[in-house]
Amino acid sequence: MLALAAGATTASAQVAVIAHKGVPVDSLSKTELLDFYTGDAQSWRGEMAVVVFDLKSRGPVRDAFYEYLGKTSSRMRSIWLKRKLSGEGDPPESFETEVEVLQRVASTPGALGFVQQATVSGDDVKILVVIEIDEG
Amino acid sequence: MPYRRVILLCCLLGLSQGEVAGQFNTFGYFQTSFQHRTSFPDEPAQNFFSLQQLNLFFQTNISRRWGAFVNFEVLNNFSSSRRWGSFNLEEAWLRYRHDARFNLKAGLQIPVFNHLNEIKNRSPLLPYIVRPLVYETSFNEFIAVEAFTPTQAFLQAYGFLSVGETKLDYAAYLGNSPNIRSQFDNLRDGGDGQTGVDTTKTLLVGGRLGLRQGNAKAGASATYDVTNAFQGAEALFGGPATRFEGVPRIRVGGDFSVHVGRFSFEGELILVSHDEDEPELNVDNEFFYGTLGAQANERLFVYASYWNTVQREVAFDIRTSDGIIPVFPIIVDIESIQVGVAFSPNERITLKAQGGPVEVVQRATVIPFGDITSRQWDFSIYGVAASVLF
Repeated sequence: MLALAAGATTASAQVAVIAHKGVPVDSLSKTELLDFYTGDAQSWRGEMAVVVFDLKSRGPVRDAFYEYLGKTSSRMRSIWLKRKLSGEGDPPESFETEVEVLQRVASTPGALGFVQQATVSGDDVKILVVIEIDEG
Repeated sequence: MPYRRVILLCCLLGLSQGEVAGQFNTFGYFQTSFQHRTSFPDEPAQNFFSLQQLNLFFQTNISRRWGAFVNFEVLNNFSSSRRWGSFNLEEAWLRYRHDARFNLKAGLQIPVFNHLNEIKNRSPLLPYIVRPLVYETSFNEFIAVEAFTPTQAFLQAYGFLSVGETKLDYAAYLGNSPNIRSQFDNLRDGGDGQTGVDTTKTLLVGGRLGLRQGNAKAGASATYDVTNAFQGAEALFGGPATRFEGVPRIRVGGDFSVHVGRFSFEGELILVSHDEDEPELNVDNEFFYGTLGAQANERLFVYASYWNTVQREVAFDIRTSDGIIPVFPIIVDIESIQVGVAFSPNERITLKAQGGPVEVVQRATVIPFGDITSRQWDFSIYGVAASVLF
């Protein structure tokens, strides 16, 4: 379910999990999100292939996202590497900036990514989950 | 025509980056190491460099549901002209993916058994230089790694079912029994049988059931096949020449792993039993390993690992003063504690260091006479290595 901030937080302190406008869902549970990011799930309800994007460098947005999923960056790297070396799939394509992620999600059918919520404007993408960044 | 050269150049550049049309990937890795083994009675200390392993993969996604994968593996400074090491086709399979609940692989593949079997040769994934012994394929010239774990299957169904946040993993497979004909058999028998295939009507049957939740997973694995490895034992125990043909072999395994914050534990138990129908002859095998690790930071992993292997072998050509040729079980008990670190300066390189003491106890028994030798070797091994993805 949505991890909406319960307290008073600014938009810049939240991570938005975004998807292409054509995906057949309006929200994701944490388990579903984790399944997409670990490669356990590869389609949107069996209808459309999911294309997962990641941020290349560590930072508060990426850290908050993986903390929400309950995985460290090194653990995620290990999971992806295992999938690649087992012939089961490739790691998510990763980008240097959130703007690149936003653009690629908006232009790629079935795409899923995450950016700082303040980066999202207009209705180019769907926001499926909002995660609060723990600034403490 | 100049534009043809440009197209050719583009194709070559594409190939050099290991990918054609986004569908065909070539990649791999190697691990190179330096190791030091301390001396023990009758054996001086040893220092050596080794290109332990190199794997070359070819992978293609034929369509959303179909994929194929080929894995060539080179071990121990391979050189065909010098007869060093080995070069093996480890995997060549076609996969049909219906969804997460059902996948089917056909072709040569490494079957799922416990946690480590399927990824034992993926050195960039593992912090070890010397892997827990029954998974150390570069030792297969002196440890019967194939007795402990199934190394090949040819048809495998696998997937998982979700129940809330819990996932129920399954895998079931078929493969050859271990009675595979080789060129050596043909030379010995003067025959011309087809090599590389099972010479009996029996198959390997196996599988794993597991549970995953959060950062913990556990599973139970089993295989059944039959082996002719004990043919000849009738020379001591009596009975027809076929008495020790097709001895049923059952491998049972359990695995558990958990990650808690920066810390992790993984462990496995393997028991291999044979139904040889002879109470005097015990040729069963046992293996356990447990590794406690800590991710000191995103790039540095430290660990301590305990291994214990009990391997029972049979020799048939031991002649005593009585002139008989008895069955001769050799029990080798290997115990070790290894500590190590793995440091990844970037996504493609992992630098490793590992070391620790090893104790080997060997007992050889002529069944009518009891133990005839008992020897023990204590030594240590240390190593440094680099594992490189390309």
